[in-house]
Amino acid sequence: MPIFRSDEFKVFAIAAAVLIAAAAPRVARATLGEPEITVQTDVAKAHASIKSSQDREGYRVHEVTLPSGTVMREFVAPNGKVFAVSWQGPTRPDLRQALGQYFDSYISAPRAKFADRRHVQIQQGDLIIQSSGHMRALTGRAYLVSAVPSGVNVGDLH
Amino acid sequence: MAAARILKIGLCAVLCLGAIACGGGGGGASSASSSSSGGVSSSSGSTSSSSSSGGTSSSSSSGGTSSSSGGTTSNVASVIVDQGPSSQSVNTLFVSVIVCAPGSTTSCQTIDHIQVDSGSYGLRLVAPPLTLTLPVETLANGSSLAECTQFADGFSWGPIVTADLQIAGEQAHSVPVQVIGDSRFTSIPANCSSTGGTSEDTVSTFGANGILGIGPFELDCGDCATNTHGLYYACTGSTCTDTTVPANLQMPNPVTHFAVDNNGTIIVLPSVPAAGALTVSGSLIFGIDTQTNNVSGTQTVLTVDGNANLSISADGTTFASSFIDSGSNGVFFNDSNITNCTAPANDPSSQITEFYCPGTPITLGVIIEGQNMVTTNNLTFTVGNAQTMLNANPSFNAFPQLAGTFPMPGTFDYGLPFFYGKRVAVAVEGAITTAGKGPYVAF
Repeated sequence: MPIFRSDEFKVFAIAAAVLIAAAAPRVARATLGEPEITVQTDVAKAHASIKSSQDREGYRVHEVTLPSGTVMREFVAPNGKVFAVSWQGPTRPDLRQALGQYFDSYISAPRAKFADRRHVQIQQGDLIIQSSGHMRALTGRAYLVSAVPSGVNVGDLH
Repeated sequence: MAAARILKIGLCAVLCLGAIACGGGGGGASSASSSSSGGVSSSSGSTSSSSSSGGTSSSSSSGGTSSSSGGTTSNVASVIVDQGPSSQSVNTLFVSVIVCAPGSTTSCQTIDHIQVDSGSYGLRLVAPPLTLTLPVETLANGSSLAECTQFADGFSWGPIVTADLQIAGEQAHSVPVQVIGDSRFTSIPANCSSTGGTSEDTVSTFGANGILGIGPFELDCGDCATNTHGLYYACTGSTCTDTTVPANLQMPNPVTHFAVDNNGTIIVLPSVPAAGALTVSGSLIFGIDTQTNNVSGTQTVLTVDGNANLSISADGTTFASSFIDSGSNGVFFNDSNITNCTAPANDPSSQITEFYCPGTPITLGVIIEGQNMVTTNNLTFTVGNAQTMLNANPSFNAFPQLAGTFPMPGTFDYGLPFFYGKRVAVAVEGAITTAGKGPYVAF
């Protein structure tokens, strides 16, 4: 018989619920660590479509559907900086643009020569990159540990 | 597998002294056996190199496992879990494939240690060891077709060529195949490298001589005929641009190109002792309900969604976007109730911390639910202590209790340990079998 262990209820304390006074939905430039800029032009350039912009406790999320069908989310802190990006879809987005100045440290991060091609978790300084999934369904996210707003559970950033 | 590899090297100096070669037959070389019954070896064999044939290459066009008799095609290929060509593989299943130039019976090469991957699509070969020069596919405008294949931890770049294939007795003609590390295509487009991760274009970075993607769909892209994804590129000289591709030029699950036995596969592996094994040998059977050796029987049939995912519940948590995958070398999911391994003092950044190290093995109840709402019964998975098992048998290449964390919530990656002791069928989309219609996984 299967042995089931009781599901431990996970409680995540929201220390400081910072509500962002949201005006009209804006579109963030999807670059980690940089200010949220209203750049419809970037979205237009990528031929992407804005699915939604949503305020959550402690941060704002912009969701963009790329032409490839991949959904990309950008998480903006109350200070206006993009502190996390995530993706989900058939292919990864342009991470050079999404990670900006952090792309090079991602690429140069030491890792084992043989991974199992199913997932990778890298911490390089303040940057955490998690990439996973399988062919036709890839997921991942990147965030800056020090920039995650107080009280935000990183498990929700996807 | 990062951590396992690090440990195997780091600990070998100490523990290999204690590993006594018991002599005897051992697991034998890959593809040597045509038997369809699997075996498990815990000895290192009578010769130390019996399972390490890294390279490849025989120019013979007749494979050791191929035969035809009595009008039926031999549809059983031998598969093996061993250390692989990188000598660092863990829980990695390999098969041999014969590749020929289209139409040729002499310009052929047998390539061993190609990873069997039910989580991807298409045959991708690393050059070298592939030494045959195969014709590159051309698009209507005369440009050459190449692909930037995205894996979770990186990408592989190379042209799409056509080749005739033979696995066991099964043959397919003019099948699109990717060549990774092809010397004719060394200029990786910026759009490809921008997808991030490392470039995996050698045997050591790839961990295999190639990969045989036999997942439950026909192609490696859902809509590349009409939409660009940064996957396929049209190349003129060294200039490559993102392109759409007619479906017949895209990378297929090569099984779907077989003349017969082309609706799916069955992986059969023996049970592996909790402590692990040096090698595990089994069978890759082609076709479902096409011959007497691949009849469906009464398994549990779980259909998968458009992403080849299904739902898995373990330890009371439901992971909605999960997958069963022979190409994952462990079982990966997040469970805060299970203790992670700690990094050794001399290697504080060791990725062993991504693995689980419970004080005693923990057996979890697992329920897998397909899109068809069918659920499994009485399925369990035991999470062992990764550090302990690797320390105890550093030469082993199969560990049925190896488990670790997964980067994203909501996914339970049920890798090769799932396949030990099972007969797992993967039916391709559209396949009609007595057990149901593909895409599905059944066992």
